[in-house]
Amino acid sequence: MILLGIESSCDETAAALVADGTTILSSVVSSQIELHRAYGGVVPELASRKHVEAIVPVVDAAVRQAGLSLSQVQAVAVTKGPGLIGSLLVGFTFAKALAYARKIPWVGVDHLEGHIHSLFLSTSTPPLFPFVVLLASGGHTGIYHVRSHTDFILLGQTRDDAAGEAYDKVAKMLELGYPGGGVIDRLAAQGNPAAIHFPRPYLDKSAFDFSFSGLKSAVNRYILDHPDTYRQKINDIAAGFQEAVVDVLCYKLIQAAKVKNCRQLAVAGGVAANQGLRARIQAQAGQAGCSVCIPPLSLCGDNAAMIAAAGYHYLKAGKQDSLEADVYSRSISKICP
Amino acid sequence: MAEAASAGINALLVLSRSPQETRRLGQLLGQLLVAGTTVALAGDLGSGKTVFVQGLAQGLEVPPAYYITSPTYAIIHDYPGRLPLFHVDLYRLTSPEEMEDIGLCELFSERAVVALEWAERLPRRYFHEHLLVVLKILTEDVREITLIPYGQAAADLIGEIKKRM
Repeated sequence: MILLGIESSCDETAAALVADGTTILSSVVSSQIELHRAYGGVVPELASRKHVEAIVPVVDAAVRQAGLSLSQVQAVAVTKGPGLIGSLLVGFTFAKALAYARKIPWVGVDHLEGHIHSLFLSTSTPPLFPFVVLLASGGHTGIYHVRSHTDFILLGQTRDDAAGEAYDKVAKMLELGYPGGGVIDRLAAQGNPAAIHFPRPYLDKSAFDFSFSGLKSAVNRYILDHPDTYRQKINDIAAGFQEAVVDVLCYKLIQAAKVKNCRQLAVAGGVAANQGLRARIQAQAGQAGCSVCIPPLSLCGDNAAMIAAAGYHYLKAGKQDSLEADVYSRSISKICP
Repeated sequence: MAEAASAGINALLVLSRSPQETRRLGQLLGQLLVAGTTVALAGDLGSGKTVFVQGLAQGLEVPPAYYITSPTYAIIHDYPGRLPLFHVDLYRLTSPEEMEDIGLCELFSERAVVALEWAERLPRRYFHEHLLVVLKILTEDVREITLIPYGQAAADLIGEIKKRM
């Protein structure tokens, strides 16, 4: 079955064509194509209007790049939340209208479940059920126990800042620009992670909630306490900060695998692109006798292929949405022990 | 000037010695809030803005299943409660046009409470009556929290808090 996936929950407008939930025929993300050329104007950076202007050319590009026509699309999957309501509604309404006009099934998909499905795309070695996955991005950080394509349990999540957000805010303090994940990862590789010790915010070591706000403040305090010298130590600050983040993320993921008796681990979301995290979780999982799945870099950030992949499994399980369906801005944080 | 002068007279200054105390002050305010109130928050990174809003949410009876997390990335988080709570962070927005595009103006006219971080980025015409909460880091644990009313409703709110402290 060929699905059109649509994603517009935050900054990116994205569309993708995916066959059978595994094979990417095309995947287009608005920030990667020159929309302003097609539209003869500058597209605002971050606004629902950006999605309105991007949605048609992005879907067009996805269909064209797959070498297909719209009539060959058999179903539509679209992000229904969490995210910014105004942005979500653009993709959601578009998907609804397209499916209605073409008389094909459609389904709304949770953005976070989408990220988990990025693990099943373009790979000959997808994760085996059941597994535990760390989902870390600019807006979310949580650990899930995944028992099937449509059965997820949230084990824990951040109580304040997401891991990716902590990276962005530390990058801002060090005047390294936005977004900050990539640059801190690069500088950290050149620094000494033991030179400056930052606190590891484990909270309750037996539970799976995170907190990165205090770590962010600790970096800020270091900068304020060393106004004359911190600039010479940016690599060490980046390395010390990254070490603290990676320590906590890896500890909790391995711990979750032990508690849930899983030999299969996974990492997904924008922070899964972090080289320091990728290397460390591979090593630690190996020691714990577990294997790890991490999507290719192109699928770590927000994309629509993952939404199509998740939607495929919901449709296969018989779930469809009707015209009355609506978007939501927040998922309830239901933590199961 | 007149606004600032009256704000000075009616302002409330509180010393918080821990995140728990900051949360408690937020909770007290949350219990007293009425629909249509905007609470603007100002303070450096780590000064306790999110902690204060966590208390505010408790006071507004947001179910504990909802974690009050930083809205920096998603820009607007909304929560159900005694009154709906919109937690907004304008950190990533740069122009007033962007703020209109994301539907910010509509939030101020809803029967809800808006907690607004980085409010200084938004032209005052959108929310001229509000309660400003300024959090200042004094030491690692101690914060100076100043509540400054803009408008009579906010001044009454501070009067009510003073009675209950």
